[in-house]
Amino acid sequence: MLCALLAQVAGASNIPPKAPASPNGVSTVNPGAELWREVRQRDGKNVGISQVRGVDTGVLINTEGDRWARFRINNPVRFAPLVFGGVILLLFGFYVIRGKVGIDGGLSGNMIKRFTDHERILHWTLAIVFLFLAVTGLILLLGRSLLIPIFGQQAFALMASASKEGHNLFGPIFLLSLLLMLFSFARRNIYQRGDLTWLLRGGGFIGKGHVTGGFFNMGEKSWYWLVILVGLAISISGLILVSPNFGQGRVIMEISHVVHVLGAIALIAVAIGHMYMGSIGTEGSAEAMISGYVDINWAEAHHDRWARECRDKNLIVPAAEFARLQGEKTPSGIPAIGKEQ
Amino acid sequence: MAYLIDGPLWYFSLAVFCIGVVWRIGGIVFARRKADFSVARGPAAPGAFKTLFSRFVPHREIAPQIGIQVVAGYLFHLGLFALLLFAVPHVEFIEHNLLGFGWTPMPHWAFIVASQFAFLGLIVLWLRRLLNPVSRLISTFDDHAVAILTFIVMLTGCLALLRGFEELRLLHRFSVEIWLMYFPFSSLMHTFTFIPSRAFTGAWFGRRGIDA
Repeated sequence: MLCALLAQVAGASNIPPKAPASPNGVSTVNPGAELWREVRQRDGKNVGISQVRGVDTGVLINTEGDRWARFRINNPVRFAPLVFGGVILLLFGFYVIRGKVGIDGGLSGNMIKRFTDHERILHWTLAIVFLFLAVTGLILLLGRSLLIPIFGQQAFALMASASKEGHNLFGPIFLLSLLLMLFSFARRNIYQRGDLTWLLRGGGFIGKGHVTGGFFNMGEKSWYWLVILVGLAISISGLILVSPNFGQGRVIMEISHVVHVLGAIALIAVAIGHMYMGSIGTEGSAEAMISGYVDINWAEAHHDRWARECRDKNLIVPAAEFARLQGEKTPSGIPAIGKEQ
Repeated sequence: MAYLIDGPLWYFSLAVFCIGVVWRIGGIVFARRKADFSVARGPAAPGAFKTLFSRFVPHREIAPQIGIQVVAGYLFHLGLFALLLFAVPHVEFIEHNLLGFGWTPMPHWAFIVASQFAFLGLIVLWLRRLLNPVSRLISTFDDHAVAILTFIVMLTGCLALLRGFEELRLLHRFSVEIWLMYFPFSSLMHTFTFIPSRAFTGAWFGRRGIDA
């Protein structure tokens, strides 16, 4: 580093002063201006010589870092709250206009098994870790502009430190959960004939009549592949950021950061929509990831081809049997599941 | 606040933990049991020894149903054990505040891996408890409280990992003190009781001639 600075100084000493001298013969130009112009590489990248061997060790000041910092402040930091606010506003407006998406004929109480215990555990593990990473990541991204005015610098410093440690620690758990999700659900999420129709019909919102769907519809498949692909991009870029000692230069780190932040903003924005659709937005959806079962009427409304398969295979669980499987208590107060055993 | 957490509350929680654990173990050891007058069909000691170790591996018949539970259980317990006894801050704490000597702590990368194992294991175990109807039915308030409390202790510890903020260290220590005070009255006691419990069951099996 010192040698690089000396190299710059040596080079700068040969540069003739460009500014005119004042009438009394004393130069008004900052004598260090040209030196620092060279050091800061205003006129292009200038790599010096350093005893330290490694990536970018000959670069005293990384001017691209300025560009990256300006991009970060002017884009993600400024637009992320607008994106999230816009999505929430959009969903609120949708809910006010459309209301909860109901089921023709209501819920029947007769159920079909949709997800196993393992699949639901995997889903909720990924969801918990994702939410933790989203909160800690947003504290790091938006904390300066949003949290310092509220909590002050000292409190934010503490929150940022805790968030950084937690974020770095949970990141690899997210990647592992994501890979398990890929192996567990990929086969059922391969696009098939009929998916495009679902998309063109806006999932049933455009045109009249019911839009047909299999185990997963086009919307669910697209959400799945978005989670997998963007999630992998976020995870890989995160690993590059959290392990700076593997020889990657500053430029790669900056690009990784941009990919990480933009990917996370996109995923969080769509996840808000997913959470809405899976809970208050659609009648009967949440049950799939809570008990693992869905109402037969729900299945026929959203996944009619799969519902038909289940009917053909006689996989419908009557309401009383479903209650027993869930361990609901009988009038005597004894859990039905235990009573039988 | 720092004085309270580092001083009186720490000693109080440690006292509750030690006295509570001794009291609970004493209660088990000195509990009155009916004398077994049946003729022994086999020796008790080998049965106790066998059961102590055989329970580390799930029974073949039920292994497919509880595979995820076993894997998550091992991840959590081994990760937590490594964190508790080999994390640098813990070794230093034990050396300076408890025993007067320490041992070689694990490197930072091992700490990270161990804590990731522990977090992943605990999350999966707790989710299984919530999502599986049978597990949910046999779970008590204590089971959930223990899982959440342990998660908070681990989380506050990891958030304070940088060791740059006194407040984060105090938060971790406070959560540990709550955990210590709750320990003797909860299912966390299995830390101490699982060995005698298995041995007792195994000895009874051995005496009755049961090969299980």
